[in-house]
Amino acid sequence: MRKVAVVGIGHGKFGVRSDASLRELAFEAVKACLDDAGISLKEVDSMVTGIAGDEFAFGLQPSAQVHDYIGFYPKPNFRVEGACATGSIALITGYMNVASGLADLVLVIGVEKMTEVPTSIATEIMGKAGDAIWEYPFGTTFPGYYAMIANAHMAEYGTTEDQLAMVSVKNHYYGSLNPYAQMQKEITLEKALTSYTVAYPLKLYDCSLITDGAAAVLIASEERAKAISKKPIWIVGAGIATDTLRLGDRKSLTSILSAKEAAKIAYKMAGVGPANIDVATVHDCFTIAEIIAYEDLGFCEKGEGGKLIQAKETYVGGRIPVNVDGGLKSKGHPIGATGVSMAIEITKQLRGEAGERQVKNAETGLAHNVGGTGQVTAVHIFRRG
Amino acid sequence: MDFRNFSLHISQTKVNRFVDELAAGKFMATVCKKCGKKYYPPKADCSNCMESDMEWRQMGGRGTLETFTKIYVPPDHFAVRPPLMPFSTIQFEPCPIGLLEVEDGLKIMGWIPKMDVKKIKVGMKMKASPQLLPDGKITIVLEPI
Repeated sequence: MRKVAVVGIGHGKFGVRSDASLRELAFEAVKACLDDAGISLKEVDSMVTGIAGDEFAFGLQPSAQVHDYIGFYPKPNFRVEGACATGSIALITGYMNVASGLADLVLVIGVEKMTEVPTSIATEIMGKAGDAIWEYPFGTTFPGYYAMIANAHMAEYGTTEDQLAMVSVKNHYYGSLNPYAQMQKEITLEKALTSYTVAYPLKLYDCSLITDGAAAVLIASEERAKAISKKPIWIVGAGIATDTLRLGDRKSLTSILSAKEAAKIAYKMAGVGPANIDVATVHDCFTIAEIIAYEDLGFCEKGEGGKLIQAKETYVGGRIPVNVDGGLKSKGHPIGATGVSMAIEITKQLRGEAGERQVKNAETGLAHNVGGTGQVTAVHIFRRG
Repeated sequence: MDFRNFSLHISQTKVNRFVDELAAGKFMATVCKKCGKKYYPPKADCSNCMESDMEWRQMGGRGTLETFTKIYVPPDHFAVRPPLMPFSTIQFEPCPIGLLEVEDGLKIMGWIPKMDVKKIKVGMKMKASPQLLPDGKITIVLEPI
């Protein structure tokens, strides 16, 4: 396989973007990405578009809305979908295009427009990403699934509501420093703990946001990467794995099998282990998900995730800084864009362009992106040149 | 019985018998005649050996609660509409749900209508029962033994 590098990044403002449609959000990210790389769209061989919900986009093949609007035709456009992992599946699809030699320069776009529908409808669309026949009849929602995971983890390992809230406090702190974040504000532990319950025991500040937003990266073959970029960031590991649709069919609710398997593939491919990771973005759709991600990725022992955040080891300066862009919690979670946004944050960190949030001398970074309750997870490992 | 009385959205499936048995008070699993693998929820096809020769078998409803929650912000389908009458309010009190592990590691999801969520504990012994609702739908409830 050929080497593949990220040579351009473009991040739109995440938030309630009532000023823009899906296609217009995508344009913002694409324009920023091409400018960052100093490339014109004509030079790009193909594109991959990650959009999770046709229901959110009010139409089938929403990716055509995007390639039409940015003027990318008649070249190839691959649309991919994997709920909240859609963006990372777009990246791995782009990676396969370049690594295989099918293309030299690929534009990877993730975009979602979630606030055009009311919150209750968004909650329903997301809830049906679980088992629509056997779980949804019990009124399940995404916070509901992760609340069940949280109760299982708390019962087995003694993880506390305080520890969950500490994840939120951290991610809001870093979100306050990220101009692209939906909620640029710090919160206190007390505020998180006294917010209303969304699904017991998860409270408002344990939950990520419903967001509009887009992100794009340009990836290139070795030859093109060296010509385009002074600081190409190499994709050295890429793993994807799956698990059962229904929570009730899993042996364990306290870890996410697809995440462990995807990490195993990515670590092996990159020839590194958890101790070699300098900075990570993990899928904190809910605070419990970040704690479980610490464990599944090997940043701590099984059951010790709560203690890792309590000891502030996932802050900049700690043992393994995690989600120092604000995470899904504070930056926002436009589901199709999230995985691409994670790749952008890691690229910035490895380029040394993360400003106040910079992890000193970061050489190797990891992005972990979970779809649904773990029906699919993608893990990428990046290294600077 | 129309499968949609249980599933809410889907009526076309090979395991429609499940709802008829549920309405008659029984939890039914399917078992692969070739390899013996047991499925709840029932499957018409065996993903263990790729055969489709299955038999129905009743299972018990007693087990251990694996996990639970109470969803305060429901999906639109279950949402209570605000009243149109001025100055009036509705107090919405949702019902907890849980996942009960019964025989052979199979897990039954159900509503827990009779318990305060703060008193529900992982590991509790509970019993699942089918329950016919006033609107003709069929569902499953869990209660402590």
